[in-house]
Amino acid sequence: MKKTVSIILLLVLLLSLTGCSSQQETKTAGPVTITIWHDKEEPVIAVLEEAVKELEPDVHVVFEKKSGMTESLKLVGNDKNAAPDLYIFAHDKIGVYAEMGILTPITEFVDSSLLDRYVPLTVKGATYKGTVYQLPLYFETLLFMYNKKYMAESDIPGTTEDLYSYMERKTRYGHYGFVEQHSTPYYAAGWIHGFGGSLITEDGQPLLNSEEVTAALAYHKKFVDLMPGETEYATVNTLFTEGMAHATIAGPWFVPTVRNAGIDVEIAPMPIVNETGLPLAPYSGIQGVHILKVHAEEKKAAISKVLEILMNPDVSVALAKVSGCAPAMESCYEREDVQADSLIMAMRSTAETAVPMPNIPEMDVMWSVAGTLLTDVNVSGYDVLEAAESAQQKALDLIEAMK
Amino acid sequence: MKKLLALLLSILMLVSVGISLAEESNNDMIIIYAKLPADWSFPCVWSWASDGTNAFAAWPGDMMEPDAKNEDWYYIYVPSAMESVIINANDASVQTDEIKIDQQNAWIEVAEDRTASVSFEQATPGNLPAYAERFTVYAQVDESWENPCIWAWADPAGTNAFAAWPGRAMKANENGWYSAMVPVWCNSIIINAKDGTVQTADIKELDPANLWVTVAADASYDVTYDDPTAPKAEDITVYAKIPEDWENPCLWAWSHPDGTNAFASWPGEALTEGEDGWYEIKVGGWINSVIINANDGSVQTSDLRVDAGKDLYVTVVSAEEATVAYEK
Repeated sequence: MKKTVSIILLLVLLLSLTGCSSQQETKTAGPVTITIWHDKEEPVIAVLEEAVKELEPDVHVVFEKKSGMTESLKLVGNDKNAAPDLYIFAHDKIGVYAEMGILTPITEFVDSSLLDRYVPLTVKGATYKGTVYQLPLYFETLLFMYNKKYMAESDIPGTTEDLYSYMERKTRYGHYGFVEQHSTPYYAAGWIHGFGGSLITEDGQPLLNSEEVTAALAYHKKFVDLMPGETEYATVNTLFTEGMAHATIAGPWFVPTVRNAGIDVEIAPMPIVNETGLPLAPYSGIQGVHILKVHAEEKKAAISKVLEILMNPDVSVALAKVSGCAPAMESCYEREDVQADSLIMAMRSTAETAVPMPNIPEMDVMWSVAGTLLTDVNVSGYDVLEAAESAQQKALDLIEAMK
Repeated sequence: MKKLLALLLSILMLVSVGISLAEESNNDMIIIYAKLPADWSFPCVWSWASDGTNAFAAWPGDMMEPDAKNEDWYYIYVPSAMESVIINANDASVQTDEIKIDQQNAWIEVAEDRTASVSFEQATPGNLPAYAERFTVYAQVDESWENPCIWAWADPAGTNAFAAWPGRAMKANENGWYSAMVPVWCNSIIINAKDGTVQTADIKELDPANLWVTVAADASYDVTYDDPTAPKAEDITVYAKIPEDWENPCLWAWSHPDGTNAFASWPGEALTEGEDGWYEIKVGGWINSVIINANDGSVQTSDLRVDAGKDLYVTVVSAEEATVAYEK
């Protein structure tokens, strides 16, 4: 009886192994589906879908638009049944996911020497603790924009003091020489970088009470005094599109809206801070592809093929054009159609000094703390040093709590 | 001979370049000239295309410019797609019938009986005036300032918009304001009256955008780009219910999108405790965005967009959750 049971068990085992083996073969020999989560607009995905078509039928790529993607990745990023194979997003969450252990380095799929073909800013943004976790596709930087109807070429400010004297002359009767989201960290960071400062170190130490940050806040305040008190996103943008502001700092995504409003808009280089000789250096966001560890080994060949397609400069240019951003690959800038696009070239130029948004987990805390600091100084009129000390302590406490 | 030919060719080329540049600048516009009966003052043009596109935002259209080089003739530029015009004057109390211009420069003569004849051949001697966009300057002057005029120029270049002082006569409007149009390349104006014997100081650093100037008897003035004749909202009351741990609630309020704040600095003005647990405060009815905050501004709602001019009832459940109603 024991023998019979053993034989039956052996047969069941053999059958199940045979089943597994044939399932495994299907996966490797048959079509492989690559699922990519994203939060992008339809035109961007249309470019990507067209590009990966050539991989059919061996590799079938499915793009899934995901609302709340960053939170979903935290929840299911290592769940074999729920996680995607890749996702397309900005680089600034890389640190969080790398620390969670859900990402695979890009260099396990792409020869690291090929990354030399990319704009250095983009690779810098894609790197966390020395490892590259993103294949950059395109990037954006904030830009200095002005209304040609109001600002003559001779008035384009070369320095921040030029800008200030222009604001003094032109901010009157309900119009503004220059407006920006002065109390939003993403925008104010350009001034802090222009003073050689930073909100946080690369290893996650907040710098809100540093000499550079407090000097930038104190200097920036006189500009703020010539702007409206309320400078949320919609207010600033509407002031510019309704012809009530001469110049602003905004992202490339704003340009189509401005042009639709009939504003004759032009881009100029960021003014240079007189005190430091450094230009206002805005944050940059780098959009790219990230590989989740969960299926990386199993689908390595197919994922490599997808990445190879996405490293085609034609794809990079097409993506930049539909997204209103700038291509991540350096060779794209040799093309005539790219050189003819003043907006893209302005971003490439700003990329020389722009700073990738920090991608470390601690930065999550800094957005809100730095925002409060900016409101305290710019809106409530608190003493810069006192407000900075208080914000620094708050940031330290929150980072400690996060750990 | 070769040199002479070359010289002639060069001159021809220069002339043709000059013409093409002039044409380029007026490329999308056509000029409408009009000679009008003597009692037609401050003439305007209303213009449209057959697809329903209008050249100007509202009837009676934009004011025509008197042509300094051709007495009795007025002119105005309209987009080249325009097919018909009506010329009107005296606050639109007199007007022609529809005049077909068929997307061409046109010279129109209006008879005393308001009938119009149109010619597409240039009827005014000399070059056509250069096209320039214009903006409107409105002025409200003291009663003693009779027949106000505007003088306008580009500073520091010193180029004047009008041929001679005291400049362009301003048109009296029904609301008590005078108005005149000025080329966009002007950044400085003077409002004057009584044949230029009284005047404001130079008003400089202006944007090429509609503006309103209020002039007192002593020639002092205020300027704004915000239309002061637009209807203003009455004060409203903002009522708020707040969580128990929110102390000393304040209102921060502003006008979106211009960003004008109701209060000088954050956290704004304190609400006073009223009936039934509602706190309240009065604020200008022009605000359309509010934040309720408390504990010295350390807790707050998000930006709440509201209808301007209506009393508000804001129920704050937490910093993340607040509802707005317009009735208790």
